[in-house]
Amino acid sequence: MKKKLLAILLSAAMVASLTACGDSAQSGNAPEELAEDIEAAAEEDAAAEEAGDEAAEGDTSAAAGEGLNVCIASEPDTLDPALNSAVDGATMLVHLFSGLAKWEKDGEGFKIVPDAATELPEGVVNDDGTVTYTYTLRDGLKWSDGKDVTAGDFEFAWKRAVSVDLATDYGYMFEIVDGYDEVWDLDDDGNPNNPDAQLNVKALDEKTLEVTLENKVSYWNELLAFPVYFPVREDVVSNESWATDPSTYVCNGPYTMTDWQHNSVITLKKNPDYVDADQITMDQINFYLSDDANNMLTNFKNGDWAMIDDVPTNEIATLKNDYPDNFFVEGQIGTYYVCWNINQKLLPDSSSLKGVEAAKAEAEIRNALSLLFDRNYIVDSIAQGGQVPASSFVAMGLTDADGSEFYKNAGSNSFDGYYDVSADALEANFNSAVETLKKYYTYDEASGKFTDVPTLTYLYNTSDAHKAIAEYLQSAFAAVGITMNLENQEWATFLNTRKEGNYSVARNGWLADYNDPICFLDMWVSGSGNNDVQYGKGDHEKIKAYDLDLTEFGYDTKVEGGTWAETYDVLIADIKSCEDEATRYKLMHKAEDMLMETGCICPLYFYTDLYMVDNSLKGFFSNPLGYKYFMYSTFE
Amino acid sequence: MNPNMLKYIIKRIILAIFTVWVVITVTFFIMHAVPGGPFTSEKAVSPAVQKAMEAKYGLDKPLMSQYFTYLTDVIQFKFGPSLKQRGRMVIDIIFDGMKTSAKLGVIAAFLALIIGIVLGSFAALLRNSFLDRLIMVITTAFVSMPSFIMGSLLLVAFAIKTHIFPANGAASGGLVLPIITLMLYPMSYITRLTRSSMLDVLGQDYIRTARAKGVSGGRIIFGHALKNALIPVITYFGPMLAYIVTGSLVVEQIFAVPGIGRAYVSSITNRDYTMIMGTTIVLASLIVIMNLVSDILYKVVDPRITLE
Repeated sequence: MKKKLLAILLSAAMVASLTACGDSAQSGNAPEELAEDIEAAAEEDAAAEEAGDEAAEGDTSAAAGEGLNVCIASEPDTLDPALNSAVDGATMLVHLFSGLAKWEKDGEGFKIVPDAATELPEGVVNDDGTVTYTYTLRDGLKWSDGKDVTAGDFEFAWKRAVSVDLATDYGYMFEIVDGYDEVWDLDDDGNPNNPDAQLNVKALDEKTLEVTLENKVSYWNELLAFPVYFPVREDVVSNESWATDPSTYVCNGPYTMTDWQHNSVITLKKNPDYVDADQITMDQINFYLSDDANNMLTNFKNGDWAMIDDVPTNEIATLKNDYPDNFFVEGQIGTYYVCWNINQKLLPDSSSLKGVEAAKAEAEIRNALSLLFDRNYIVDSIAQGGQVPASSFVAMGLTDADGSEFYKNAGSNSFDGYYDVSADALEANFNSAVETLKKYYTYDEASGKFTDVPTLTYLYNTSDAHKAIAEYLQSAFAAVGITMNLENQEWATFLNTRKEGNYSVARNGWLADYNDPICFLDMWVSGSGNNDVQYGKGDHEKIKAYDLDLTEFGYDTKVEGGTWAETYDVLIADIKSCEDEATRYKLMHKAEDMLMETGCICPLYFYTDLYMVDNSLKGFFSNPLGYKYFMYSTFE
Repeated sequence: MNPNMLKYIIKRIILAIFTVWVVITVTFFIMHAVPGGPFTSEKAVSPAVQKAMEAKYGLDKPLMSQYFTYLTDVIQFKFGPSLKQRGRMVIDIIFDGMKTSAKLGVIAAFLALIIGIVLGSFAALLRNSFLDRLIMVITTAFVSMPSFIMGSLLLVAFAIKTHIFPANGAASGGLVLPIITLMLYPMSYITRLTRSSMLDVLGQDYIRTARAKGVSGGRIIFGHALKNALIPVITYFGPMLAYIVTGSLVVEQIFAVPGIGRAYVSSITNRDYTMIMGTTIVLASLIVIMNLVSDILYKVVDPRITLE
């Protein structure tokens, strides 16, 4: 008897689930049915709330139909503002939290405006060169559980984000704040040398927050709009898993999280207590969680999702044609580049050059090789995502001291950046590269090929897109007789190999966290964890091939024939402590000049962000960091 | 229960625990030998932060000491926090994924059994007829087609071209295609297994007796032959569940089903050590237990089999 009951139960469950599937699959076409579905879903929703989690199990459609359905990425690793390090996480966090400042659309551009703060005042320079900022919180700021937001919450959140205990990826965003270096001064066992050290931020009273920076930085206000600077409340986050469950997720922004079906959908509902609630036009946002571009596109075409943040690479050309009003390409302040291991020997065995001379020759060779690539072909025929051919490492979208594009002022040539990447210059570039290479290698005039260039290996992480580019680079080299083998590795292995410097040439890419060229420059100091080129490491540590003369900027620094650490590292330190904007930008150009002169960084294109938006959705925008803003959107 | 049986079960349980221990050990050391770690990312954190993170999760200790700490925790069913999805416990993530995966797996297994047995019986009954040949051709095709090809074909045909079912496994109705993909191989295998063992049984004397007494074909099959013909099917029960568990890794990936298989694959990409170990242990235990159950069932159904 028992067995039979089980069988009946199983088949009943099966039939029920199959019919349920069938129903909703057909409902897309019939509006009445859809309305019924929504009602049913709402009822289920209510029932689920009553019956607790178990009833909601597997029911991922509960929220569908109401509000805005979008898909920007798969399940976020975390929605704790201090721990988040991803753009998709940041998008959700700007909807859930309100920091001192926020991004706002300003005509065609963007600006940073006060959010929780009444205004964003200038800092006061102290006698020791540090700068103190004092912020006043607006009236009526509430947490989603009704308590008041205080300056103390900001103080707590900031100190938490930099704490050694929490050890966050993006805690370094506070490195310009006084006290950060003391907090992170660790001994060999990883224990703090100054256990009492604190970040220099204080809540003077309930509404006043005072923070001291080591020196003035131009991007400070932008940092205030960055999720890691958002407030959290001590009693909320004392529960370590607070950010994984809507019932414990207390936030202070335009929305509250009402549901998180892991790996399926996150539902945000408008927070009526938010101080600017009257400006928030979208009542509910359902963030569907998927990283499958094909799947996203299917749902977009079906009309299920009104905005998707990725499309399959092989569909880009078709989509551009078929959906001219829906397909968007935006700059992403990032650069896709080829990076050379500086310790990779490039000269032929016959060469007698050693040490500094060899280093200079190799730099010249790498720069010549960079000229062999047709970046327009890569962008138009391979990547096909509206990317922009790159001629400098600091990406398009980062501004110079005067507000113009930094990359347009880079280098000292008539064209933008360090190479002429226009289609017309292709032949001249090729000829100049061949001439340079002839100085070091044997050239066979008859075949037009070099015969003694060492065999190279290009390393990339497994992906069809990277592979296609790798094959192009390979063919461009092969045209002049250079053999470059291709090797691909799985992502984490690849990162490790590249970081350790166990490669000769590798694919690389970098996206900025904020609008300041220093994001692209300080990563190349000898001790940096992102120094994949291995500047100042291994054999390169002792190479005295670099000059640095900063006397024209009022510094004492003048080095001739110094190591990387004696020149580049010093230059970056000077940039970080430089107070004068104009000088600081000049120094940053100088740093990029140094980088590009080594030829180890060969930019291919500037990244773009591709996304699709349904015609019915108005008022949506994406900021330069790639955060998507749905809160001011409406349906038409 | 007879003492032999009890002894056998105890022996098998000890063996099962040993098997799981071997899986834990091998996975643990291979996992740590693979380059890259949980805190590897495109934007490297500073060495100080890296060190602090490692200290926080005990990854700074010698590997052997980490191994013994882990074993001690696992014995108490403590799988620890996820290193990647910070703030979430491994056990919660596994449980979350299991809810979907179990639904997928149980329905697939159930359908495979029912459809497979029915089709197999019909094929045997109508031996050498057109229907029999058709069933054999189709099942041969399904048995030889790997699930990732089957899944991709179904996805293109029913989700992308015709929109009958959603492409996203998390959407409502999204489990239909994954279930079919997962079910086809075991269903076909069971069909063929049932058919051949049914033909074997149909040749037995007691069936001939039944026929001689004038019992109808259908009654012979379903009333007399099926029970004995199912013994090989029961032995296939364990391998089938193993297939479904491992198959779900691929199928969940194709259809973006938010199940444990997908969580497993991404935990490996992320080097989420605690998550890799937790999922491995749960899946390995599941397979070991299912094999054990299937062996015991085998014995229960066929008393002629002696267990040692």
